[in-house]
Amino acid sequence: MLSSTGRALKDSDGKPGSIQGSKEERVSGSIMATRSTEKHHSSVIKAEHFSFYYGSKMGVKDITMEIYARTVTAIIGPSGCGKSTFLRSINRINDLIPNTRVEGRMLVNGQDVYDKRVHLVNLRQQVGMVFQKPNPFPKSVFDNTAYGPRLQGINRRGDLQRIVEESLRAAALWDEVKDDLKKSALALSGGQQQRLCIARALATKPNVLLMDEPCSALDPIATGKIEDLIDALRNDYTIVIVTHNMQQAARVSERTAFFCLGELIEYDSTVKIFRNPGKKQTEDYVTGRFG
Amino acid sequence: MKVIRRTILDKAFTAITALPVVLLVAALLVILTPMLWRGAGAVLFEGTVEWRKMQLAEFGHGDEAGIRAEADQAQAARAAVYEMIDKFKSGVDAEQLTDRAKEIYRGFGKELQRKDMPREQYTMLRSLSREIRDKLETAFSSSDIGQIRELTNDVLQYETDDRFKGTIAREFFQLAREYRKAAATVNLNKRSEYARDLAELEQIIREMFGPRPTEESPALAQFRYGATRWDQAQDLLFRLLWKEEWVEKQPGQPLVKIAASRKEQFAETELKGMFDLVENNLGRMLNPKWTFYWRYFTDDSTPGHYFGGIGPEILGTLILTILSMAFVVPLGLISAAYLTERTHEGPVIRIIRMCINTLAGVPSIVFGLFGMAFFVLFFLPLFGAPSKPCILAGSLTLAVLTLPVMIRSSEEAIRTVPQTYKEASLALGASKFRTFVTVTLPVALPGILTGVILSLSRVAGETAPILFTAGIAVGPVPKSLLQTTRTLSYGSWDMAVADKLAALVPHNQYGMVVTLVLLILCLNALAIVIRSRVLKRLKGH
Repeated sequence: MLSSTGRALKDSDGKPGSIQGSKEERVSGSIMATRSTEKHHSSVIKAEHFSFYYGSKMGVKDITMEIYARTVTAIIGPSGCGKSTFLRSINRINDLIPNTRVEGRMLVNGQDVYDKRVHLVNLRQQVGMVFQKPNPFPKSVFDNTAYGPRLQGINRRGDLQRIVEESLRAAALWDEVKDDLKKSALALSGGQQQRLCIARALATKPNVLLMDEPCSALDPIATGKIEDLIDALRNDYTIVIVTHNMQQAARVSERTAFFCLGELIEYDSTVKIFRNPGKKQTEDYVTGRFG
Repeated sequence: MKVIRRTILDKAFTAITALPVVLLVAALLVILTPMLWRGAGAVLFEGTVEWRKMQLAEFGHGDEAGIRAEADQAQAARAAVYEMIDKFKSGVDAEQLTDRAKEIYRGFGKELQRKDMPREQYTMLRSLSREIRDKLETAFSSSDIGQIRELTNDVLQYETDDRFKGTIAREFFQLAREYRKAAATVNLNKRSEYARDLAELEQIIREMFGPRPTEESPALAQFRYGATRWDQAQDLLFRLLWKEEWVEKQPGQPLVKIAASRKEQFAETELKGMFDLVENNLGRMLNPKWTFYWRYFTDDSTPGHYFGGIGPEILGTLILTILSMAFVVPLGLISAAYLTERTHEGPVIRIIRMCINTLAGVPSIVFGLFGMAFFVLFFLPLFGAPSKPCILAGSLTLAVLTLPVMIRSSEEAIRTVPQTYKEASLALGASKFRTFVTVTLPVALPGILTGVILSLSRVAGETAPILFTAGIAVGPVPKSLLQTTRTLSYGSWDMAVADKLAALVPHNQYGMVVTLVLLILCLNALAIVIRSRVLKRLKGH
């Protein structure tokens, strides 16, 4: 049910666009109907010798990795290892921090996002983001969800209502809020707020969803709901999730990247990382001997 | 034991921190209560019939027939007082009597000229009337009752003379007879003293009851009416009954002020009954009624601030305040946005911020002078407007004055908006401007409104900046923004320092100050209500 609405969301997206705003088809043009072990190995995000500096301090260095379409990729690692920095570089939300510098390339859908010609608005509409702390705007549930579509110039009440409903259904929140969409988002519980943030991100019809420790501020039940949601979305979106919680990474992701001290130590299928890691550092971390 | 000590220490700390707050509140109450009390006197007071007459004639308020009837009644009650004074005066006031005698003499001379009569008869009558006049004048200024009798008898001899029959000269005899009667009752040695005090008494009576109906109405409105308020009448009654005197109790010591009873002073005269008459019947003569003068807030005043209300002052204050807010709010917001939403904190921003902080501490009179030099003398002529103080220049000056407050509080408000909101908006593809307008600004609104409240209070109460740019104490109600206006702050200041009238109408001065305080309170309350509604909406209840 959820995945079918997700598909409907995709289908209704009549205007494919690239981050440069050209007519180019999205890389993830086709729809994957079922969740299977056999994966598309087309990469949506591709880092090539990517380094990020805060002033002279290095955030991440020399990362080269590919993130595949319609896959949940977890990034794990100890605090301060640069996993959030890496994630936040993908949609350039790190630009808010003054005195930063990048090296290498970060390709999303084949476009280098740090290219001068890249239109940030287009980039961010394709790469949605969910933050650590639930951060709905102090507006109504409806206005929160419709924020993205309105930015895209959709102002017709009917269209907005359709998109809001689809997004809220996709984020498994619709049944809880459908009676009072005018209610302030701040009146929702923490878990509901986070799902609302996911719905808000989905409403812009992205094909990549970045999640920066989405459950760290939530209780186990709310966390469970978010994980279920991630599971339901995995067939339609490319999800990158940063998490501190290794069980969570093991539960939700198909591929896992282990970062340490700003470097990518190991990147493989989740099963391999947790069962049979290739590097000593990874093994120490996942078995809890360090970090 | 230890816990008890800690508890006591804790409570003591709370008490000490609460103390300044309590002191502040107490001080405010001590200052504000009498002010409010006296200010209330501008609106709620015992108005006399004179007040109602004034309202009818100057402002057209009130029931005309009723007030006329009331005034006639009061006038009837006063008649006895006037009568007594006139009677007494005819025996005392040598100057007035002499004038009267001269007048009759001149009138008689003219009458003779009109009559066609032989030359020598004319000369004879003329010299005779001069003789009568001179005799009367000597009698008027004499303090010897024997001499007065002799002289008046001499004059009255001519009464039977046919030549004076039917002429104006017969008034000589009436004057002589009245004077003889009055002189018999007066201590003639004290006559000059009486004359001086009588003038004072007449002045007090005039202030109490207004000019006599027979006199012509004075040009200045403030002299056209008697005591309009019962408390004024009470003061005047005191002055009527008691004479203020400075006496030397002991040689070499400073003089001491005492109140001497006028009743005793005039005990031997015709006037002795007047004091009791006025004291006992003042109510009937002035007819005080409790009056709620709500029009105080809408009426114009005339002349100066003597009668009437403070309508134009309130209007001027509101116009200036609202107009300057219209300038300062957008300007302040834009500046605050520039200062906060820039990712790069360069030296330029630091210098600007330092300037703003400095400006916030500049005395308001400096802004007033700046306003005159810049807006009045330079800016307005640039657009072809006359280089004169006006509302526009005043509100611009006030805007400049309060801009630092507005910028700083808006900046604080914008800064407290969680970064996560901005990130969320940007991550959804919103531009920086869009994020600022749709997310940052609404969230910062309560804080910005706090800045508006602060600026509003400051602007509404400031006097110095409008001294040279917009304010006047007395003048017409403005018809455009290029005219000067009266304001509550300027009016209070002017009444306090420049206007001698203020001593006579303290209720008006206090009324103005209290109105200003209440106006600012109301504006603040309004802003606070708006802010709490915004906050409520943001919190989602």
